Amino acid sequence: MINEITMLTLSPQDISAVWLSLKVACSATLISTPFGIACGYFLAFGKSRGKAVIEGIISLPLVLPPVVVGYLLLLSFGSNGIIGKFLNLFGIQVVFSLTGAVIASAVVGFPLMVRSIRIGMEAVDQSYISVSRTLGAGWWDSFFTIVLPLSARAIFAGMSLMFARNLGEFGATVILAGNIPGVTQTIPLAIYEYTSIPGGDRMALTLCLVSISLSFVILLVSEGINRKFKRG
Amino acid sequence: MRLNVELKKRFKDFTLDVAFDLSSSRTGIFGPSGSGKSTIMNLLSGLELPDSGYIRLGNTVLFDSKEKINLKPDQRNIGVVFQHAHLFPHMSVKRNIFYGYKRIKPENRRIDPEDLFEALGITQLLSRDVSTLSGGERQRIALARTVLSNPRLILMDEPLSALDEGRKFQIIPYLKNVFNNYGIPMIFISHSVLEMRMMTDDVIVIEGGCIQQHGKTEELVKKSWNRGLECYVNLINLGSASPYKDLFRYNWGDISIILTEPPDGEENFFELDSRDILLFKRHPEATSASNLLTCTVTDIYSCGNRVRVALACGNEHLIAQIVPESVRELEIEKDAMVVVAIKASAFKKVF
Amino acid sequence: MRKVKDVYIFVFFILLVFTTQAQAGQVRVSVAKSMSNLYTSLIKNFQEQHPDVKIVPNFASSGALAKQIEQGAPADIYVSANPKWMMHLIEKGKIKTDTKKIFAHNALVFVGKSSTDAHSMDDLQKMRRVALGSPGSVPAGQYARQAMDKAGIYTEMLKKGQLVMAKDVRQALIYADRGETDGAFVYKTDAMLATSAKILFEVPVDLYSQVTYPVAMTKESDGNVDAKRFYDYIVSEAAHPEMIRLGFTLP
Repeated sequence: MINEITMLTLSPQDISAVWLSLKVACSATLISTPFGIACGYFLAFGKSRGKAVIEGIISLPLVLPPVVVGYLLLLSFGSNGIIGKFLNLFGIQVVFSLTGAVIASAVVGFPLMVRSIRIGMEAVDQSYISVSRTLGAGWWDSFFTIVLPLSARAIFAGMSLMFARNLGEFGATVILAGNIPGVTQTIPLAIYEYTSIPGGDRMALTLCLVSISLSFVILLVSEGINRKFKRG
Repeated sequence: MRLNVELKKRFKDFTLDVAFDLSSSRTGIFGPSGSGKSTIMNLLSGLELPDSGYIRLGNTVLFDSKEKINLKPDQRNIGVVFQHAHLFPHMSVKRNIFYGYKRIKPENRRIDPEDLFEALGITQLLSRDVSTLSGGERQRIALARTVLSNPRLILMDEPLSALDEGRKFQIIPYLKNVFNNYGIPMIFISHSVLEMRMMTDDVIVIEGGCIQQHGKTEELVKKSWNRGLECYVNLINLGSASPYKDLFRYNWGDISIILTEPPDGEENFFELDSRDILLFKRHPEATSASNLLTCTVTDIYSCGNRVRVALACGNEHLIAQIVPESVRELEIEKDAMVVVAIKASAFKKVF
Repeated sequence: MRKVKDVYIFVFFILLVFTTQAQAGQVRVSVAKSMSNLYTSLIKNFQEQHPDVKIVPNFASSGALAKQIEQGAPADIYVSANPKWMMHLIEKGKIKTDTKKIFAHNALVFVGKSSTDAHSMDDLQKMRRVALGSPGSVPAGQYARQAMDKAGIYTEMLKKGQLVMAKDVRQALIYADRGETDGAFVYKTDAMLATSAKILFEVPVDLYSQVTYPVAMTKESDGNVDAKRFYDYIVSEAAHPEMIRLGFTLP
């Protein structure tokens, strides 16, 4: 038993994987949040006919296999892709970089966030917005003092969902960002590598435990904050 | 206040086409559900856009489709009190009340909050939680919130409709208080004749998206504007009362009348059906009615197959409804004197 | 109650029939990815002469294949790109040791676009990204790591995040071929398959152990006559022309 426990240690590469996972998930979630709020608002309150199309596009990553999403991203951001060529002019390379890992996670998790935010905003009674306007609040004022606070819970739920999804992101990440220890090798990629190595089971299991613990912590924190919203 | 309005808006199954000029500071818009009352309110406040027309309040043009002027709701300074108070659920009562107030520059704030709270009787509600308030309390808070945002005009869209009968009319003294003290012009929208009579001087009658009538509230009521009303009901505002045997004596102007109902505060509204007023040519020796008043006929007019007689009793006025034969029998004509008998129980308390 | 028992027996027999059918006349070969083209060709030739035999190949990194066999995946013949994995399976008792032979040799090269300025191991640290098979499971990657360690550059490059781990040698090749990395460590035989990447330099042979491909039959193949027949074919001279054509070195 003691042997097993001493074996459950993390190598520096593993610690780097955990750190990277957190970094990528945080960045992708935080960067996506303003866009998620904007899209959620548009889909909840917008009246244009293009709504259905935009909703379809946003939901695509949810129904496509992640590797397909990754491949499409590779085609766009790769050195031969439209966006890739443009970014190359500024010396920015997306493929096989941390940026690529963040983009892959952001794209894959975005529909989850938007969905949650949209539902939360639809639940906001439009009357409150009308009232605030008649009391002298302009559009932005009303947005920040009425719409956002009333949908804060849904926004936060969307962020948690996306964060959790990002921690487990594999398919799109491995194709767009590659498996680069210290740069893009997140926990799922590290575990996958270990599963190909005979004798790597112990390391794989250790990382699995870390992954489970992380997810658990996030769940608890998320529940806690959710309850605080309820009371407040 | 002067409000000049011309509005046209087409909906799926109904078109709104109205034009009116208002100069009274207590105007009502009256009509059945679906007649367009709330639409007018939404168009005036800027929450909805008319297809064409103009809105001019005083010297300011709020909307003009030809000149392409359209002020946003937050720029119009028109306050709205809705049927449901719509107090912001994520804010305390205090934050709710001061929401509009905070958005006015300090030099432009005309109204003292403490005074207003007293006028509305809500000082003790300030520390309460929004979710614990009753319907009537919520409406009073909503009114405070609206008044503190310094509006030039307040629109009240069926503010009493969501309250239950008993409480409804308890709020009216508070509302009248506010509008009397602060002199803010008001447009009161409702489908209740009674509310109209109590809150407004002028009224616009609207149906099917068009204006049917526009005039003084009491005049229209007398002419039985509401097709559902078969007879005229007098609305009498009495002050306080003192006990009289097992009844109550009220002061009505300089006349005292006896009622069975006890008073409730300083202002008491009673309804007196015009058919419950008996007319005598001469003073009857004795009757079972507690009230016998000597009045002068000021006007006689027919209404359907009945006749209405307008009476002046001292400085007050009543309308009685009788059959045409009685006019001949009692020789009722303008300036004639009649004796009016009313039972103490005929007066029905409004609230 | 009796009816249910009958159904179970019936299903059992059906499964038995199907599984035995599956085994009859079928040979499963697990082959290192770097030999996928070679074996596809060898299998095709063999089946032309023996149309009744069905050969099912499984191409992946040698490490991944060893792991599969270790955990019970069916295989009759195993070809590894590195003796290490063969030893591993022998230790686990999965191999018929008397059938173990050296099948072929290969050489390690560094490929990339011709515009890339890399002519020796010393130039590699200037590169932005370099691909190699994951050393934990891909022999080509192990040899590459061995060479880089001997040249003293592996730890540095790993720390700086310059190494892109591929799941097998072919993926490393594609990364270099597509230009996603500046270059890749692959076998000479793989370089011949590249569309735009060229051999920039051959890795000095004193930096890594000779690339050796051991082949053996598994204990599971006992009784499989067709497996033996295919094994005999691939270790015979009949396979040599194809091996030479694709660039492998004979044992």
